Amino acid sequence: MKATTRRISALAIAVGVTASGAWAQETPKRIGYIVNYATHEWYQNVIKGMEARADELGIEVEVIDANLDIAKQVAAAEDFMARQIDVLVMTPVNEQGVVPIVRRAKADGVPLVIEGNPVPGMQTMVAICDYDTGYSAGVVAGEMLKGEGDDAPRVMNVGLPLLSATILRSQGFMDGIQTIYPEAEMVHDLDGGGNPDRAQEVSSAALAADSDIDVIYGINDSSALGGLQAWRAAGLPEDDLLVVGTGSEGLAFLNEMQTEGPFKIEAAMFPEKIGYTLVDTAVSLFQGEDLPEHVVSPTTAVTFDEVGQFYSYDGTSRQIQWDGINALPVPEACMKYASDL
Amino acid sequence: MASTETHDTPGLFRRVMESEHGFLALVLIVLVVGLGLATDRFLTGSNAVAILHQSSLVLIVAVGMTLLLITAEVDISVGASLAFASCIVMATINATGSIALGALAGVAFGAGIGLINALVTTVLRVNSLIGTIAMMMMLNGGVYLFTREAVQNHHQLPLFPKIATGFIAGIPVPVLIAAVVAAVGWIALSRTRIGRLFLATGANPRATRLSGYSPERFKTVAFVVTGALVGLAAVVLASLLNAGQPTAGQGFELTVIAAVLLGGTSLMGGRGTVLGTILAVLILKVIDNGIILLRWNQDLQIIVPGIVLILALYMDQRKRGHHAG
Repeated sequence: MKATTRRISALAIAVGVTASGAWAQETPKRIGYIVNYATHEWYQNVIKGMEARADELGIEVEVIDANLDIAKQVAAAEDFMARQIDVLVMTPVNEQGVVPIVRRAKADGVPLVIEGNPVPGMQTMVAICDYDTGYSAGVVAGEMLKGEGDDAPRVMNVGLPLLSATILRSQGFMDGIQTIYPEAEMVHDLDGGGNPDRAQEVSSAALAADSDIDVIYGINDSSALGGLQAWRAAGLPEDDLLVVGTGSEGLAFLNEMQTEGPFKIEAAMFPEKIGYTLVDTAVSLFQGEDLPEHVVSPTTAVTFDEVGQFYSYDGTSRQIQWDGINALPVPEACMKYASDL
Repeated sequence: MASTETHDTPGLFRRVMESEHGFLALVLIVLVVGLGLATDRFLTGSNAVAILHQSSLVLIVAVGMTLLLITAEVDISVGASLAFASCIVMATINATGSIALGALAGVAFGAGIGLINALVTTVLRVNSLIGTIAMMMMLNGGVYLFTREAVQNHHQLPLFPKIATGFIAGIPVPVLIAAVVAAVGWIALSRTRIGRLFLATGANPRATRLSGYSPERFKTVAFVVTGALVGLAAVVLASLLNAGQPTAGQGFELTVIAAVLLGGTSLMGGRGTVLGTILAVLILKVIDNGIILLRWNQDLQIIVPGIVLILALYMDQRKRGHHAG
């Protein structure tokens, strides 16, 4: 996606929907969402956000899990279109694999909202700025380490090179921390697969090779926690370690942060907000509004002291604090896109 | 002297190759020496601990799988069962505040799955490969009926994380658990009459029956033991990840079965040793470790063990052909 493409924030969409008296207009009755991997906590919270917003608007949301199977996703999309769904929402299993669906939706006049990763020919997409998310976490991490008088940090990146979005996060994190420590070094660049068991396994081997690490960065919470568990399994001291997670996927990062251990920074991406914005965008698209190609959803890097502004947590469940999230500034454009890689 | 050397060297090599575990030990030594020369980060105490730590989870289940394959049966559902059991363990500890009850629930769950697999195989006469694939599918779906998300640690018992990350006398706790399981398995299989009956069950079930023993009973015990060990591994996994993960264990069954076959256990039953399985697990984990240390593409962690397994089975067949000839 080119940086010159028009973009608009999630807040602007919500305000626009409200200000234009959208409620008085015809609203869609049914939205079909084909999620790529519903067992992941991130997507469960996206769905919660969608359902909450849909309830407010009196819309029915039907969810089908593609379970990482592109054939299943395509079949589900065809099924939704055959049943004349009002708006289709889709998180692509594979960006190229859903191109035929995007074309068919356009030809049949079915409004289609993409979530997360851009698809050629799409009408509109709701997504965060991945590079910016990593970058802001890198800056906060650098400032935290500088405040403690640390030397140039050595970083272990528990990444996921399969996806452009997660490559951008890792790049952003290193660029961000290097604004504070230009000589900060990525010692280990790992493929943790985005899941905790794989992340733990590769981190364990990497730490055995070189455990002189100051920062563990994970492209999602599972990766960061897998890296941290590998650190613990190696019997390494946690006093001078800083762990930075990404996503605010579920409860795991809150559990870990509240122990006041090394997991001190979370690059929060607010999946509930994504879900909320998906429904607003779907409504706008259904009503024929001219929408931008990328509707940006806000992110921010938070410490344990700040996390309460966005989530209340009672030890077993979390509640999103909409005032805190809606007050976050949303960038007009992302600092870097997949097309820049 | 020169003629004696040229005569003895092939003899020694042949003896190593033809001994029960000589080839595996040789492969392991070659890997260790090769990686030691390739990177100075390999032959370190911390790396040895990491390799043993990574091996422990696979070895715990592989001991049971060795017993099962020896009886000419297989369990493809161990990965799915591992994930489900880890959720059971964490949920039970959250509900009761007792690690012992959580561990018991995990082991009982695994053993229960093993018992069902055994009944499907021995009573319904469904081929265990097919029956346990069906069980894997049921467990993969069933775990999401139990929980759609990871079961987080709400109990915060300080002892629980130590199961996976603690050390006793400098040795990681999971390694000690795996060592005990392997030692018991080795003694039971190679030093007891029951062990010989397991081997006989796989080698010649008819003869076993004629001797007054029920092959079905030995197969059932092997399924249940394998399942119980999956439950034990799930306790370690839940501690290691500090959560019950419904998505964990993907491909775990293939790693376990590859290790057992690489260790010389016959897919047709009747032959196999725990020592061979231990060596094979170490070989696979040393390869994993080496790929990361050498900064090779991590996709090779999936490819290389496959190649090693084919080579090992080929060498094994050649060896047996040589014996037969």
